[in-house]
Amino acid sequence: MKVTWKLPDGSEITAEVTHGQTLMEAALANNVPGVIGECGGCMSCATCHVVVDEAWRAATGAPGEMEDAMLDVTAAPRQPASRLSCQITAAPELDGLVLIVPEE
Amino acid sequence: MTVWEPADNGHADLSSHDSFVDGPPHNTFARLRREDPLHWTEYPGGQDFWSVTRHADILEMNRNWEVFSSARGIRMEDQTEEEYLARRTFQETDPPEHSRMRMKLARAFAKPVMARYEDDIRELCHDILDRALEKGTFDATKEIARQLPMRMLGRVVGLPEEDLPWLVEKGDALIANTDPDFTEHVLDRMDTDEYRMLPFNSPAGAELYEYAQELMARKEREGDTSGVLHLIREPADDGSVISETEFRNFFCLVVAAGNDTTRYSIAAGIQAMCHQPELLEQMKEGGDIWKTAPDEIIRWATPALYFRRTATRDFEMHGKTIRAGDKVLFWFASANRDEAVFDDPFRVNLSRSPNRHLSFGQGGPHVCLGMWLARLEVRVLFEELARRLKSIEPAGPHRFLRSNFVGGIKELPVTVVPA
Repeated sequence: MKVTWKLPDGSEITAEVTHGQTLMEAALANNVPGVIGECGGCMSCATCHVVVDEAWRAATGAPGEMEDAMLDVTAAPRQPASRLSCQITAAPELDGLVLIVPEE
Repeated sequence: MTVWEPADNGHADLSSHDSFVDGPPHNTFARLRREDPLHWTEYPGGQDFWSVTRHADILEMNRNWEVFSSARGIRMEDQTEEEYLARRTFQETDPPEHSRMRMKLARAFAKPVMARYEDDIRELCHDILDRALEKGTFDATKEIARQLPMRMLGRVVGLPEEDLPWLVEKGDALIANTDPDFTEHVLDRMDTDEYRMLPFNSPAGAELYEYAQELMARKEREGDTSGVLHLIREPADDGSVISETEFRNFFCLVVAAGNDTTRYSIAAGIQAMCHQPELLEQMKEGGDIWKTAPDEIIRWATPALYFRRTATRDFEMHGKTIRAGDKVLFWFASANRDEAVFDDPFRVNLSRSPNRHLSFGQGGPHVCLGMWLARLEVRVLFEELARRLKSIEPAGPHRFLRSNFVGGIKELPVTVVPA
């Protein structure tokens, strides 16, 4: 499936992502700047913060309880569509997903 | 010019603190990465252990906390259940217990919260550097690296300035408990059994306990809610509060671990500047280098040489079986020199990017809580140092801490020429 990350400088990275991978792992594999994933997806760091494009909000769902708490400690201010990308898993229904990397 | 040549013969005993007195035995780590990445290491002081030395393996295992648990201790030394319970902090717990405490603290140590300290740090750097540099020749660990984290500890935790030297001395006695320069109670050289219920088996733990208790009582009387200590005593959403023992252990953790790690990162950065003169030039040019330099300096330093985990079930790797109950050490010091991940790992490259070093224990739930403060302190310190220097060079050999747990240059004689 394809995923596009929109970066703060206006550029975009589009990459092929394997189903089952988290979007944090996919971002690291594709060197997406601004998505760091320091804790490997254990929800200890909030450094894989992304904002889900409006069109994809319903498909990606809402953050869980722990994720919600960690979204309060992100580097860039939290937005209504903020998610930790380690908590979104690549799946067929997300083909074409657009994620915005927020500016600090 | 290389910054520093490892001195070991490729077969150093990783279980011995003495193998680290000339710096980490990197020839041994390089050989293990190549020949035996999951190495059974004999430990005369207790249960033998597995040494994991490759970056990719540590990253994979560190996230797998269900198999590689922190709840049986995080150091090589073995603990009884009783000792563990008396001494543990949230470092020695696994999710979900770990996550509950972590959430509470994450707010206090979040990047935007830490960013507010930048002016404080800069002001402290002015004072520290002006005093140190006018000496011309001095010990950079003592006069610079030790000073900044100690004084920031006071601001972040909310401690009186006049107590800080005493606290840091006690913190050193705890964490450098294997180096006779820092403690009279050298862990592996005498019977520290009397202190086994205290953090790091050290009598300094008892003094810090007492201090923490008096401090909190005084703060309560005065209605002083500054700093992070207040925050962790607040009840959680479910009404639970931290126990007295947990609180005191956390206090020791902050004083000890939160302090010497940044110190040794700063020291390693200064040591690198002494041996790679281009670093000062690059720092002086400034710009984007400051986005990447702090992590490279912290990679170079790797103050936490390893953390230990304990296998909860059998696990196959590299054709071997780690058995349930086995002790496993993640050697971050080795991962940070892994040639499979880092080009020219023995050189400091301030613009290295990406820089997936593991100095903060990246890749697992226990990734360093204070990493944003550490990066900020390192950046501001080197910005201010570079601005003031024309040149810096060694004024004699540097000496490492006697410890296979904390990697640090404890003595760093330098001569500076101010700009």
